[in-house]
Amino acid sequence: MPVRPDVSVVVIGYNDAARLPRAVGSVLDQSLGGVEAVVVDDASTDGTGELADALAAQHPHRVRSVRLPANSGGCGVPRNVGVEHARGRYVMFLDSDDSLDRHACLNLLAAGEESGADLVSGLCTRILLDPRRDRPSKERAWYPWLYARRAVYSGLEDNPNLLYDTLSTNKAYRREFLEDHGLRFVERLHYEDLLFSAEAYLAAERTALIPHRVYNWYVEPKAATAPSISNRRAELANFADRLEIHRRIDALFRLRGAYELKRAKDAKFVNHDLLLYLRDLRDRDTVYRAGFLELAAAYLAELEPRVFAEANPVPAIAAFLVRERDLNGALAAAEYGRGKRLELRTELREHDGRIFWGTRRADSALARRVLDVTGLGLHQRPLREMSLANTITELRLRGGRAGLEGLVLNPLERVPARAELAATLELNDRRRPTRVRRVPATVTHEGGRIRWRADFDPRERLRPYGLADPVWDVRLRLEVDGEEIVTRPGEGTGGGAAFDGVVLPVRPRLTRLAADGARSYVTDSGHLAFKLEGGGRLTRATMAAAQWAARTGAGRRAWAGVRRTERSVRRTLTSRKTKIAVFNRVLSRLPVRHGSAVFESHLGKQYSDNPKYIYRELRRSGPPVKAIWSYESSARGFPKDATLVRRGSWGYFLALARAEFWIDNQGFPDGIRKRPETTYLQTWHGSALKTMGFDQPALKSGTRGQRQRLRRMVDRYDCFLVRSDHDLDTLVPGLGVRSELLPAGYPRNDPLVSGGRGDPELAAELAALRERLDLTGDPRRVVLYAPTFRSGPDGRPVRALEPPVDPARFARELGDDLLLLVRPHYLCTVQLPPGVRGTMRNVGNVPDVTLLLLLADGLVTDHSSIMFDYALLDRPMVFHLPDEVELGRGYFDLAEHAPGPITRTEDELLAELSVLAAGGDPGAGRRHAFAGRFGEHDRGDAARTVVDRVFRGARTARRTSRETSRKRSPRGRAS
Amino acid sequence: MAEPRDVFIVCNNTDTMGGLQRWAHHMARLLSARGHSVTLVGVHHAPEPHDYGPDDAYRVVTLYEEWKSPVLKWRPRTMTARLDLAARRRDHRRTREMRKGADRLTALFAAARPGAVVIAAQIWAMEWVALADTTGLKVIGMSHESYGATRRSSRYGRVREHFAGVDRMLALTPEDADAWARDGMTNADHMPNPLHVSPGRFPTLGERVVVCVGRLSYEKGLDMMLEAWADVAPRHPGWRLRLYGGGPQEDELRERAERAGIAGSVEFRGVTADVEAALAGASIFALPSRDEGLPLSVLESMAYGLPSVAFDCAPGVRELITDGADGTLVPPGDTAAFAAALGRLMDDPAARRTMGARARESVLRFHPDLVLDRWERLFALLHRDPGAIPVQIGRRAQVDGEFPAPLPEGAATGPPARNEEILGVDS
Repeated sequence: MPVRPDVSVVVIGYNDAARLPRAVGSVLDQSLGGVEAVVVDDASTDGTGELADALAAQHPHRVRSVRLPANSGGCGVPRNVGVEHARGRYVMFLDSDDSLDRHACLNLLAAGEESGADLVSGLCTRILLDPRRDRPSKERAWYPWLYARRAVYSGLEDNPNLLYDTLSTNKAYRREFLEDHGLRFVERLHYEDLLFSAEAYLAAERTALIPHRVYNWYVEPKAATAPSISNRRAELANFADRLEIHRRIDALFRLRGAYELKRAKDAKFVNHDLLLYLRDLRDRDTVYRAGFLELAAAYLAELEPRVFAEANPVPAIAAFLVRERDLNGALAAAEYGRGKRLELRTELREHDGRIFWGTRRADSALARRVLDVTGLGLHQRPLREMSLANTITELRLRGGRAGLEGLVLNPLERVPARAELAATLELNDRRRPTRVRRVPATVTHEGGRIRWRADFDPRERLRPYGLADPVWDVRLRLEVDGEEIVTRPGEGTGGGAAFDGVVLPVRPRLTRLAADGARSYVTDSGHLAFKLEGGGRLTRATMAAAQWAARTGAGRRAWAGVRRTERSVRRTLTSRKTKIAVFNRVLSRLPVRHGSAVFESHLGKQYSDNPKYIYRELRRSGPPVKAIWSYESSARGFPKDATLVRRGSWGYFLALARAEFWIDNQGFPDGIRKRPETTYLQTWHGSALKTMGFDQPALKSGTRGQRQRLRRMVDRYDCFLVRSDHDLDTLVPGLGVRSELLPAGYPRNDPLVSGGRGDPELAAELAALRERLDLTGDPRRVVLYAPTFRSGPDGRPVRALEPPVDPARFARELGDDLLLLVRPHYLCTVQLPPGVRGTMRNVGNVPDVTLLLLLADGLVTDHSSIMFDYALLDRPMVFHLPDEVELGRGYFDLAEHAPGPITRTEDELLAELSVLAAGGDPGAGRRHAFAGRFGEHDRGDAARTVVDRVFRGARTARRTSRETSRKRSPRGRAS
Repeated sequence: MAEPRDVFIVCNNTDTMGGLQRWAHHMARLLSARGHSVTLVGVHHAPEPHDYGPDDAYRVVTLYEEWKSPVLKWRPRTMTARLDLAARRRDHRRTREMRKGADRLTALFAAARPGAVVIAAQIWAMEWVALADTTGLKVIGMSHESYGATRRSSRYGRVREHFAGVDRMLALTPEDADAWARDGMTNADHMPNPLHVSPGRFPTLGERVVVCVGRLSYEKGLDMMLEAWADVAPRHPGWRLRLYGGGPQEDELRERAERAGIAGSVEFRGVTADVEAALAGASIFALPSRDEGLPLSVLESMAYGLPSVAFDCAPGVRELITDGADGTLVPPGDTAAFAAALGRLMDDPAARRTMGARARESVLRFHPDLVLDRWERLFALLHRDPGAIPVQIGRRAQVDGEFPAPLPEGAATGPPARNEEILGVDS
């Protein structure tokens, strides 16, 4: 009964008998009934054609086989032939090495019938097969953001991003649609998909997308050996083909007058196609590189220069430099951002107050625009977040000792010459991230470079197990004034020495039968790594035997089991869940260390805020207390006379378990139970404007579990610091605080009340900060801009903060009288070009805002609770709210109570600032009314009051806390 | 009229008082009216059965009088848990019991005509369907809640496990289906609930009454409703809030109303059978839920021409209410905005009328005829080519064309069907 099938799947194959059954099987296994497979064999020589015939004979109505008389050398001819033989209402394409999802045809057909689309497209997933079969393959969706939800487009103009998905295979085409528009694949050119999909998108009156996975694209692991010379020549021809296809697509767009789409496609070429080729270029020889550069530069020269502005910034740099025939610069740009690694492999240059990529002069307007990377913020990003190229200049073995030498890039002299430097070379077992061997390294500052050198005996230092830890990565940890930069030695900026093929002698713990050397090689990302190998005959034999055993079925299973267990044990031992369980069951039963206190500010991000000022008061006048400070990632800036523990480490949990006091301003980890002997002082970090705790919409609409979690955390408090009656009406009920309330004011505000007088330590800190910010001797008035974060459409904080006024305009109009310090909220960052340093400075890296408040002659802010603190200084404040619609939400009506004028536009803000610049005081009346209403408990002695109450009265406090906690425990468990 | 089919709708039970059971009986009635032969299967009986007035048009089957074994399969997490012999024995008994129920299902299914369809309306009931032999039938799994709700609950793992193999998995809205598809369920599709009321009379929209219909439980968010009411009621004297339904939170809610000083304007009306009276006597419908599927209560209120105010808590709510046209959607948990939206409608009778009229019109998208057409299209799509027998071709396939003999689908699963008497037919 030859009824017309709903879908015909054209399966093409060439010399792929091994995988063809999987592909055809995936068609026959479709959940949709009426699907036929048309297998087109491109004149294979391995029996693929015979296999196709056999399949057709076995499934007469569902599989048909077509055999081409001569090989076509591409995918175009067989697909076109397949379309001619297809009888279905819809046509799909499948390659013999891939497969369809079981429901692919049903989903595409249903979407096609529902939307009446000519072309229906679904998600394609790349399955990266692991070369070693004992490991699972990885899956990567192909442009998943295009396929986030179902959509119907009435033309390519509706969504030009469709051009990113250039596959022809994850789509179903209406047969009549193909015929009406004469859509066929171009023959005798590679990358026929690109042209075909572009033509199809353009021709389709309706294109439907579904988020369902329809196509499995199996990606074989990269061949270990380098391609042969003939292959390389063929590859260059491939690239020429790709450019030819792009030229034809360009012609197609031009023919249709679709210039917008053409530019979208050009941007995609820069963002995607070119980048892929550039990243592959590292393995190629100079002849190939030269040929490639010639072809690519010629094509890029044909494109409109606007493409460099429309493509993503860093790929645009790569493309621009290819056009300028600067291959090294282009490669550095192509590597930046690869696999989320932001390794900087190029110098930077500051010119006219902007930062430029590379050292070449930006001699045209276009070059200046493209190469300007001020927006990346490389001139002010904290050093520990930078990843700098590390070029190996020497790797040798002499007298049994390994000598390793290299240069770390120091762009813009971010590491100053006077900095204190130290370095450690690390060898790291790739399979076990925590297993590290350390070797001391010497380091010298050479201006734009930092030279390092390490010399060690590999037999002593590198003690691998053997067999189980075959690969060792190399890192150089550079310490700059206590701040750490991690770099990976390797090719770096290019021009270093060759460093592969050096064999270091090693002594594995499983004796030398397991390995006797570690051979250096270049990883995919261009870094140095060592692989264990056997040099001697006996070692080679045992290693081969071990590898053979690991490859047998039983060996593979056993080995996989061992590794799985090892991984899970390691994960379990280091997981937070385990630490919390151990905390509650074991650590908190250890004896309390009397007089020990754990301090934490903003979850360990800073040494700042109330905990800092309590700590200082304790040190100055309080009883002897063993202080432990928690830091999140870097210990820089934390007090040297305290014990420092990394937040989340075992040491941290141990310190918390045994501490007599907990002091923090946000929250210690959820889940750990505070023991009754410990007194927990929650200082909080500011009066509330936004809704807090149970008053937040997210928590109101949240699950019971979320509410119980907050309840648990808050019920741990023994003492809660309150700075005004406003807190009693808002914060305390919002968080549901049921502990003792301590109306002492905020210790961090003591200097604001006293103006910093009578505190030599603070005066010294202030002077140092003034020096650091270049304020000494500057006659201008200082204004601090310190807004809170804004929430984006997804409800998460918007990371990037913009300066409130255009820096150039600010410099022009007020630059002689005012200096603006910009301080983003600690969740945000701000990018200021270096050229505005004269009038605007980024103070985001100053941890303690109290010092900044003391420095500032005026404050510009918004809904930030900083206004409550600054009001104590009785200095002018301006409220800049450019895009706020409603002011009255939360606990506080800013329009009614703001202690200063509110500005909505840049002009209004500049007008208020010019009053300030002239020595005026905008909004003094409002400020006084505000201070009268909200500044109640701050009298300048908060730190002393807290120390007296919590630490001196520790015994009484402990007793009461034990009683209350016992009383509270049943209630604490209920919500 | 599409070709008549045998349709089995399998639920946890068919006689509890609840939205799903209402849906199941309604669907059974609608499908029967189109000539299909419907069997409604409940795994067990409810402790307090509710009468849905089953008629002769479809039959109701219950697998067990009472399900005494553990509700869920035993999944020991730790080594010590694995040594728990009692639990192991209980689980063994559970498996044995399940097999009996599954055998009854197999017998039911075996008697079906070609082209039959099984609809597993709940994930727990699906465990029995998965165990039964469904050769020749198409199996449709349904998720009657939002993707997010499933994701947050322990049902997620079971849905992934048992619905992965079904021929079609239906969510309530396109947005939920997309979320399942993104999560890897390539059989995901969507099917709305059919409108299940035909109003006899309509509200005048002049009564000063806001109405809420639903269980008094945490997910329904009535605590937030009372908070919003405390905000808006003092500014609108004479307006009353009527809460229909009972549930675990009732005492707590009464106390909360008392504390907020709004007890005078809030009426706890309890469970009602007369939804028409409840809705026809009101002017605004409020849905303060924290989580929803495709809420039947909103479908009802829209059919009665009431404008709604709802938290935008799930795709199903967005699917029903078009913000600004036939109701107002408020960001989840923002009780101040909820109160403001209520206030606007209370102040503006004309807006209530326009929105109410639009609601009545808009809800026709869910008219039973349209939804049933969609169901029948789906049945036809799944049974597109009844003659074809899928063939497994694995890696073992040889180049010389030797393939394993074709296996009928599902031959490896389930026991051979026993030709036993179909017992315990309720009706």
